[in-house]
Amino acid sequence: MKTKKITFDYKFGFSVKSKNVFTAEKGLSEEKVRMISQMKGEPKWMLEKRVQAYHFFLKEEMPEWGADLSKINFDDITYFIRSTDKQVNSWDDLPPEIKDTYDRIGVPEAEKKFLSGVSAQYESEVVYEKVQETLVKQGVIFCDMDTALKKYPKIVREYFGTLIPYSDNKFAALNSSVWSGGSFVYIPKGVIVKLPLQAYFRMNAQAFGQFERTLIIAEEGSSVHYIEGCTAPIYARDSLHSAVVEIFVKDGAKVRYTTVQNWSKNVYNLVTKRARADKNATMEWIDCNLGSQITMKYPAVYLMGEGARAEVLSIAFAGEGQHQDAGAKMIHFASNTSSRIISKSISKEGGRTSYRGLVQVMPNALNSAVFVSCDALLLDEASRSDTYPTMRIKNNESTIQHEATVEKIGEEKLLYLMSRGLSKVDAETAFVNGFIEPVVKEIPLEYSVELNRLIRLEMEGSIG
Amino acid sequence: MKTQLIEIKNGNTKLLFDKPGTYVVYFSNISGKISCKITSEKVKLYMIGLYDMNNSDKYSIQTEQIHTSPHSFSDLYILSLVRDTSSFIFSGLIRIEKNAQHTHAYQKNQNILLSKGGFVDSRPILEILADDVFCTHGSTSGPLSQDQLYYLRTKGLSKDAAEKASIEGLKSLVYERLESYKVIKFIKL
Repeated sequence: MKTKKITFDYKFGFSVKSKNVFTAEKGLSEEKVRMISQMKGEPKWMLEKRVQAYHFFLKEEMPEWGADLSKINFDDITYFIRSTDKQVNSWDDLPPEIKDTYDRIGVPEAEKKFLSGVSAQYESEVVYEKVQETLVKQGVIFCDMDTALKKYPKIVREYFGTLIPYSDNKFAALNSSVWSGGSFVYIPKGVIVKLPLQAYFRMNAQAFGQFERTLIIAEEGSSVHYIEGCTAPIYARDSLHSAVVEIFVKDGAKVRYTTVQNWSKNVYNLVTKRARADKNATMEWIDCNLGSQITMKYPAVYLMGEGARAEVLSIAFAGEGQHQDAGAKMIHFASNTSSRIISKSISKEGGRTSYRGLVQVMPNALNSAVFVSCDALLLDEASRSDTYPTMRIKNNESTIQHEATVEKIGEEKLLYLMSRGLSKVDAETAFVNGFIEPVVKEIPLEYSVELNRLIRLEMEGSIG
Repeated sequence: MKTQLIEIKNGNTKLLFDKPGTYVVYFSNISGKISCKITSEKVKLYMIGLYDMNNSDKYSIQTEQIHTSPHSFSDLYILSLVRDTSSFIFSGLIRIEKNAQHTHAYQKNQNILLSKGGFVDSRPILEILADDVFCTHGSTSGPLSQDQLYYLRTKGLSKDAAEKASIEGLKSLVYERLESYKVIKFIKL
């Protein structure tokens, strides 16, 4: 009997010896929140926000729906680690162990090839940052949030926490109280950033919590593509990643946000992401969830302006011990708006993928259109797939369509490919790659090659 | 084998299908929860719901298609016509347990919003724990097809008559299904 296996080759599981300049004690308290703020030399309003958020976090219950979060021990997590004293703009200036980490992930190489700007976050803070000078001259700002708060306090204060207030949910509150690092992107009116901006997030410590905070503002008629990549070492103790991402897409602007989430399997990934699309704006989330133990992430778009358009393309891949609870939210407030959600999920070896989505069409959002399609592929009988969509429609001049399918790899299709001379494994690889292709083709080439490599088939225990 | 019709008048109903056969569950304008558990092989279950709503009607229906045995089939179809300020809330679950391989389970919810003040909330849910299955669900919500209305009007129908014909056409989708299962004459429509 031949058994096949799609292996997910995790090559980022290494860790380096920590030489951190500061590590906070485990656990969370108001003093610790104040300490983080003080160490960063923040203005008073931010400290107040942090403290308010902390108290909300304490009293808010854990979500009762979704994935099992009962094993998270908030007292066993280190909330703040400063890995180096200074931020640099040359890879060679980084401490050797951090530079080595990024070399192995391949960040400096990617920067040379196809990026407009790079930011690299190691533990709690951004250690490397560089943007092409032509963009700086055009007024594009790409820096970490801590720097943004110092250099552009007015813009940060105007937008920070307005789309995702700390009271949104328990993990948004946690992030708001202990946030550190993350990206700040500001694209001035009419500026088109051709090559993507990229942020790399890396956790190296054990039982650590990374709470980056990202804010993207695209002014009228501008356009930007932002990519984030996440990896972490494999440890026996669980780490927590809880980010908040707020995006403002002004009239006629376009933002594409691509995530390649590849945390190791000891990471809880609980993220709140939301964008606001104004008149004729376009917001696209491209969301690939490959790693982590548990992911709960539902990128949302509030379509506030007439003619706004939004899209979520999502791939989830759950192997042994993984639960990917991903999805999307589209809330239509204005007329002539359209949104599309395409979700592809693959479960194997007892992995569980769930699509959870919300589509809401408000009474004033006349002549709006929504299309949702969720396909799930189950690779063996131990795996599980769920679909939990909600659609709320409050006017009679919009059309909403939702469809979902769950299937295994079709025997006939395999047979056909095999009759053409492909081995069973090659046929299955072709099938899986074909299954996710509609989403993969939207990802920059360098990543789609990587993705295809990650999802590769291997024979195991084959007999003659 | 004769098809067995089960017409549900009381919303909170639990049905157990533990013998092979073809069954039709029909309900119309009721609220509550209809739970169907299929524990036998070779069960063919059709569930059909028709909601024809006016004024401030409010219906909230929850359905369950739970497959615990292999080689069975279920198909749910619910049509709602939402007029005036009526509201329709649907939540339907297909759950396929681990050993229920070779199951085919389908679910379709179609909501037609005929007025400004109507409200629809649709939640088709899948929980699939077996891999060798066919499962799909679909949900559509929106006004009557503008193309269809336009076609009817080019044939000389007034706006009202075209709408009426369109609505009748949709309802006949339900009747035709019931007819094809040979149970329509037992239902008072």
